[in-house]
Amino acid sequence: MQALPSTSLTDSPHALRPRVWGWVLLAPMLAWLVLFVLVPMAILLVYSFCTRDDLGRVVFEFTFENYQRVFDPIYLRILGRSIGYAALTTGICLLMGYPVAWFIARQRENVRNWLLLLVMIPFWTSFLIRTYAWMTILKGNGLLSGLLLSAGVIPAPLEILYTPAAAIIGLVYAYLPFMILPIYGSAEKLDNALVEAAHDLGAGPVRAFSEVIVPLTWPGIAAGILLVFVPAIGMFAITDLMGGARVPMIGNVIHNQFIKAGNQPFGAALGIIFTLMFVVAYTLAQRRGRSSHP
Amino acid sequence: MKPIRLLPLLAIAAVFATAARAADKELNLYAWSEYIPQTVLDGFTKETGIKVNYETFSSGEEMLAKLLAGGTRYDLIQPPDYVAEALIKNKLLVPLDYKKLPNFKNLLPEFTKMPHDPAQKFTVPYMAGTVGIVVNTEKIKEPVAGYKDLFSARYKDRIVVLDDGRELVVGAFYTQGIGLNDITPATLEKARPILTAWFKNIKLFDSDSPKTALLNGDVDLGLVWSGEAAILWNENKKFHYVLPSEGVHMFVDVLAIPKGSRNQSAAHAFLDYLLRPDVSALISEEFPYTNPNGEARKLLTPEQLANPASYPKTDRKLDTFRHLGTSGALIDELFTDLKNTK
Repeated sequence: MQALPSTSLTDSPHALRPRVWGWVLLAPMLAWLVLFVLVPMAILLVYSFCTRDDLGRVVFEFTFENYQRVFDPIYLRILGRSIGYAALTTGICLLMGYPVAWFIARQRENVRNWLLLLVMIPFWTSFLIRTYAWMTILKGNGLLSGLLLSAGVIPAPLEILYTPAAAIIGLVYAYLPFMILPIYGSAEKLDNALVEAAHDLGAGPVRAFSEVIVPLTWPGIAAGILLVFVPAIGMFAITDLMGGARVPMIGNVIHNQFIKAGNQPFGAALGIIFTLMFVVAYTLAQRRGRSSHP
Repeated sequence: MKPIRLLPLLAIAAVFATAARAADKELNLYAWSEYIPQTVLDGFTKETGIKVNYETFSSGEEMLAKLLAGGTRYDLIQPPDYVAEALIKNKLLVPLDYKKLPNFKNLLPEFTKMPHDPAQKFTVPYMAGTVGIVVNTEKIKEPVAGYKDLFSARYKDRIVVLDDGRELVVGAFYTQGIGLNDITPATLEKARPILTAWFKNIKLFDSDSPKTALLNGDVDLGLVWSGEAAILWNENKKFHYVLPSEGVHMFVDVLAIPKGSRNQSAAHAFLDYLLRPDVSALISEEFPYTNPNGEARKLLTPEQLANPASYPKTDRKLDTFRHLGTSGALIDELFTDLKNTK
């Protein structure tokens, strides 16, 4: 009931014009969302309840079978592993990215811009090319192995390419900038006087960090976690190339349903469940975030 | 006033007319990646003025999915034999006009009227090959004769295999004496324990370029396409190619015109161009698979013909894949499960 007066206010003729303009300006974005998010999701939803013929064409015959298969232990384990890899990647990115972002944010402005440029330079080449470059570095007779061998650090060629460790290295490398940039955004705005005040009031470095710096840069940290975790779960190219395609990720499984197994309805069901999980996790995180800051 | 109002319409009509003419001079080709040399495409354009739009895929299933989804109207596609069989059964291919293919006679008879196209109405073989074992003889001193030797525990983490569930399942079938197209839940359950043991020893799954890991020395053994093995042999004679003793799968990649093709005459022209001995020999030079073109083989060097991977000396019967229907999904599920429990 409290909201009523305000709605009648915006409905007044004077407010109409800016509102129309607002919609006009929003139109391209809305069209984009409808065409490339809502419509594809609707197609996936319809497909996920369908069957297929022997060529893999979708047949519009209602079935729940695809959803039953999603909850088969095979696929649940793959999902669990994908979440584990993504969580590990996010954790490493946070540990490596936070100090870098903080360091950049504390520099003079022109140094800052140069450092930011360095963070972004890798985006100038295709990520596939960068992944192949990492494979050249990590392979048995590659750069890293050769360097360590000649320095006498290791006795035999390094066996790291095509292992889970290599896959994690690839993932961390690919997503690190997505952690650095949002944290930098928060850290740059942070007023140094607040940190000094914490020290003046007797807080040691640990306490100043955990009770002043982290809460003030939290929006950047949260954005970084989301930007790394979500795409890392679905990634399949890096785990295939650097991990040797030995353990499947949920992204591989969905990709395979469309490309190899000719089972689009099942792939669609996996995609729908996957998206729903994100929506639920995101709303829960949002709600918790709101309740902790009343 | 009237002519002026008509002007935009005329302009639109003119645009459509030029677009139609442009379509005459273009060929939409959908083929395997790393399989048709650019020099061959350029040569065809130079001779005929027809531009070739070469779109690529990396598995027969991928090709099938994209072809059926519509989108681009392809004029010529390059399915593997068993996918061509499925397309023929579902009446999705256009019969060939042999009057436009005078060079068809260059093909060796054993590559025509094959099981996927017994009436020889729809497909032209492009290249053939086998799936076999590559051994780096500098590192592996003992003889490796077949699947059982390849996957023995002593080569743990020294093996690359094709990232292709069906090829591996067939390998397990061979060791059990099961026919390679006999894919049922029961036969797959028999293959499961064998594959479980094999999967523990595999270092890497790669269908696109399994030769890379062998060349880099990251692995010493491989289950690969014969064309990849032939390139390795050309690179270094230490890479030996072995046809597995338990049984050998042969594949033939064919060319066919899908229904909906807008430029069938260009498709025929390109087919006939590829069947010309000099052009076919050019393809063999870059991609040393087994050339089904008898006249082209006469143009190859003795060294090319002596490549044991391209032209294996064997009188054994080679098996071919048949269309599986929906049981392909059973293989995918088993394959995913095996990788998962590895």
